[in-house]
Order: sequence, then C-alpha cells, then structure tokens
Amino acid sequence: MNENTDITSYLAEGGKLSAPGNAPPRYRAELMRMMASFVDSELAGAAGFADCINMGPGVKERIAASRIVLEKHDHAERVLKIMGEFGANTDRYMQVHPWTERVAREEDVGAERRGGDMRLNVFWYPIENWADAVVMNVMMGKATIIQLEELARCSYQPLAEAFREILPRERRHMELGEEGLAGLRASDAGAVLASMDYWRPRVAASFGGRDSERFAMLKKLGLRHRTNADLLTEWDAAVDAVAKSLAA
Amino acid sequence: MAQFYPLRVTDVKRDTRDSVILTLAPPAGDEDAFNFIQGQYLTFRRTFDGEEMRRSYSICAGVNDGVLRVGIKKVDGGWFSSWANDELETGETIEAMAPMGNFHAALNPDEARHYLGFAGGSGITPMISLIKTVLDAEPHSKFTLIYGNRSTNAIMFREELEDLKNIHMGRFTVVHVLESEADIDLFSGRLTREKCDALFERWVDVCSADLAFICGPEPMMLGVSDALKAHGMDERAIKFELFASAQPGRAKKRAESASADGGAQTKATIVLDGAVRECDIDKGAQSVLEAALAADIDAPFACKAGVCSTCRAKIVEGEVDMEANYALEDYEVERGYILTCQSYPRTDKIVIDYDQ
Repeated sequence: MNENTDITSYLAEGGKLSAPGNAPPRYRAELMRMMASFVDSELAGAAGFADCINMGPGVKERIAASRIVLEKHDHAERVLKIMGEFGANTDRYMQVHPWTERVAREEDVGAERRGGDMRLNVFWYPIENWADAVVMNVMMGKATIIQLEELARCSYQPLAEAFREILPRERRHMELGEEGLAGLRASDAGAVLASMDYWRPRVAASFGGRDSERFAMLKKLGLRHRTNADLLTEWDAAVDAVAKSLAA
Repeated sequence: MAQFYPLRVTDVKRDTRDSVILTLAPPAGDEDAFNFIQGQYLTFRRTFDGEEMRRSYSICAGVNDGVLRVGIKKVDGGWFSSWANDELETGETIEAMAPMGNFHAALNPDEARHYLGFAGGSGITPMISLIKTVLDAEPHSKFTLIYGNRSTNAIMFREELEDLKNIHMGRFTVVHVLESEADIDLFSGRLTREKCDALFERWVDVCSADLAFICGPEPMMLGVSDALKAHGMDERAIKFELFASAQPGRAKKRAESASADGGAQTKATIVLDGAVRECDIDKGAQSVLEAALAADIDAPFACKAGVCSTCRAKIVEGEVDMEANYALEDYEVERGYILTCQSYPRTDKIVIDYDQ
C-alpha cells in the first residue's frame, strides 16, 4: 500500500481522480463493483421491462415503456464505457449473463446477489402485469434517484459526471411511472396496493445492509458519502408520500 | 482491447532543463484515431530490459492547432521520462494508444465564460490544450491561469504562454506563483489553500468564474479546491486531473515458478489490502477467487466471467491455468496478472497479490 499512501489520504480529504492510471488497487476494485452493479441493474431492468411494453394499455404507455427500455440501455452503455477504460471487455459484456432471467414471484432473494451478475436483488423478481410494472417503476425509480444522487458525488470524476447526466433521465422514468400510477388509481386500485405491498420490502432491500466497516472504507475512498440507512430513510419517506397520495 | 499505433517523432524541442516537447505524426490512414478533445492524454508503451512499461502524458496542443504534441518532464528515476528527455530523437517512432481522458468541459461558441486554470509544474501540459482550445473556440470567453513552479527556469511553456497573452489580448491572464525569485509576497510560495485564499481575496475573482480546472500534485489540488469551494464555487464546476505522481515505478520481476506437481490441494497465500492470508484451494475444482471468498477474504470481483477485470491480481509464485481471459492484455499476462475468477492452480503453492 505504501506507494498509494499519498493518494489514499488525498482521496480521504476529498480529492478526485479522473484517470484509471491513478486508481490504487482497492479503489479500482470497489469502483468496478459499483459500476458493474449499476450496469448489470440497468441491463437486467431494461431486459425485464422490455416484456412489459406489450402490456401497455395504450400507445402512450407503450411509448413510455419503450423509452425507458431504450434509455436504460443507453445508461448501461455510458458506464460500461468507463469500465472499458479500466480494462473491461465492453464487446463481450452483454453476452455473459442472462439478463432476462428471473426467480419465481414468491421466492425471497433477500439482499443477496444471485447468479453471476451484479444486478441489485430487486431485478431478480418478475413483473406480473401492467399495474405491477408501473408500481415497480415508481418505487424502484425513487430508490434509483436517491442512490444515483449519492453516487453522483463519488470521487471518480468521469463516473460522477456520467451519473449526473443520467440522473434527470432516470428521474423522468420515475415521473412517467407516476403519471401511469395516477391513471391506474381509479381503474385498478386493488392491484396497485397489492403491488406496493409486494415491492416495498424488496426495493428496501436494494439499499443493502448496514455494514459500517465497509461503508467507512468506501467513504475514505470518496466513493460513498451517506450511509445505506440514511438513504433508506429518505426513500421510506418518499414512498410514504406516494401511498398517501394514492389514499387521498 | 487497446490498440497501439506507431507515431513518428517529427520534432523534439527542449523546453526547460528537464523537460521536452515531442511533436508526433500518426501513421497515414490512422490520423482520425488521433483527433483529440482538449485536455486528453496519450498512453505510450516501450520495452525496457525486456519488460513493457506504459506511461501517460497530456497532449499540449489546441484541438485546432493541427498538430499532436506532448510535454514530458523528467522524473527522478523515471525510466520512460529519462529516455524521452535524454535519448529520444527526431525520426524515431514511439507507440501510443488513441487519446483518452475526461479533463474538459463541452465547448459552446456562444458562451462568454470565465475559466480558471491551476497548474503545478508539469500539470501545465493539459492546461495548454485547454487554454488554446477554449480561447479559439469560444471567442467571448476568458481564461485565467494560476501557475505554480519552483523557479523561473522551471516554468514549462513560458514563451508560449507569453505569446498566448499577446494573441488573445485581454482574454488570457497568467499569474505565476514561484517558490523562489518572486518579488511580491502574494506571488511567492506554493499553491496552498492559504495562498489561494490570498489570491482570491486580492487578485482573482472566483465569483465571476464558471469553471475551474486543476492539475498538479495531490496536496496542491486539495488546497486549491478547498479554497475555491470556500469562495463560493460549486464543487461540480471543479475539474481535477492528477498525474504522474501516483503512477508506479518500474514493475518488479515475476518470481520464478515452482514446479508443477500433482497434490489435490493448493496452499494459497493471498495478499489483499496490505494483509496476508492463507487458504486452501481444491485443485481443479475451485478458482482462486472462489477459494478466497470461501475463506472469507474480501477479494474483489464482479462478472465472474473473465470479462470485467475487477478480480485482477498478480501471481507472485506458482502457476495457474486461466480458463478464459477477455480482459487482460498480453503484456499484463506476461507480467503475471491473472483474472482470479478464471484461474485454477496448477502448483501446490501459489502466492496471489491483489495490491499490485
């Protein structure tokens, strides 16, 4: 670690990196995992959502779903490009994991990673119908925004910038979901509430555990700033607000 | 996979006592690969004593200058920079990858922006590219450069900066901060937090600035960014480029391999985050990564498919079979790097180092 001491304290004091050549081994590893988790979640999420396009009740809904699928692939590509600068094989990346694979609806993945890819747990669950797709999109969309706002502060500047560009578009995806939700409120209230009950604990698990030692390490590297618990609290409040607006 | 191109050295110009500026010509037909964005760098490779070395140097030309140049400052004990300074001559070829890097902001000819640049020593090289490009592409923008050096004769691109002041009269300002030889206290010393605070109070108006670029050694970059933030600049408007100091020196020779033989288990020694751990690996059944994870060692990984390179480590002793490798390049494999998710031990003892 000796030759990295300078750079480690530089990062701990808020310094930023902008080129792979300056990244110490542990930093590189954690950054790659962070990027892989994002890319895999976008790819798996988009693959699952692609099937929902045909569930859309009208042309408008199908356009919204198509746009979400398109842009999530684009977001994956942007971050994958940065992984490529660290040596990942971007041409092959798409081919190595079965992005459409899902577990049974009632199976419990918990907060674990499954299979070979790094997608967040929530992208292992299948979507059942259009209302379910809309609810999942709103709930996970709110989580994505909070998680991306956190990652957009990370010390690897090219990634932070990529996330800052991605953020407004992910926010728009969530808003498209909210618009859909408003429409479903009258016609399909029961299904919406059932879906919310289904997704709430699963999305909550995507914030990860309370491993304080690991967080301290990531914080020192400037890769994280707020704890998982902190982010989860913010999300809980956002979801409470959605539930309240549905009940009103 | 990274592709290297042979670039012809068309000029070697000595800039200061310990720095040179190389002008390079891409091979015919590959010119487009070397169209760069301001602030990007080139990664060169060269073999020294049978071992490949790679070094990155910033391009120090504007995007519309029609020329590809890099500035190389000699570093004590640096093989590549010493070779470039002492031996490299016009007419030779040197291998480089296409330009990379993200030290820039999108240009907009209609904007009237005020840029601040902070360079320490050879940190000036990408700044030259930024200054020239911005002043050329954005006719209403201005650029203020604060440039720290030990002494006058250590200032790289001194004449060129003077020329730029004359060409872009009123739009380009340079403030030299020198550790010695400066007559005025404000411009004497190092670019520290305190120095920047003083400059921002009396000389440079941070409030009028839209963006700041910083390139230099770590302490300087931290000091400058802290001062900028304290004077009201949004963190997102500050761009950092750290160079050279963190690049490792010459790679060590790979240890001699132990002879392969047929026990069922391999004793593995794993170096990670400065700690040394031991674990057993079932030969033929477990990858190095699987065994490390089974032993509660926090080894890095992501794809487990030989594609992403997150699990990269160096084999210091022993031998492994790598089943798939889509991420490491030949030179890395030659140096002993392996993808631990794809590596199965062949020898009874292996030593794996994740910290190299």
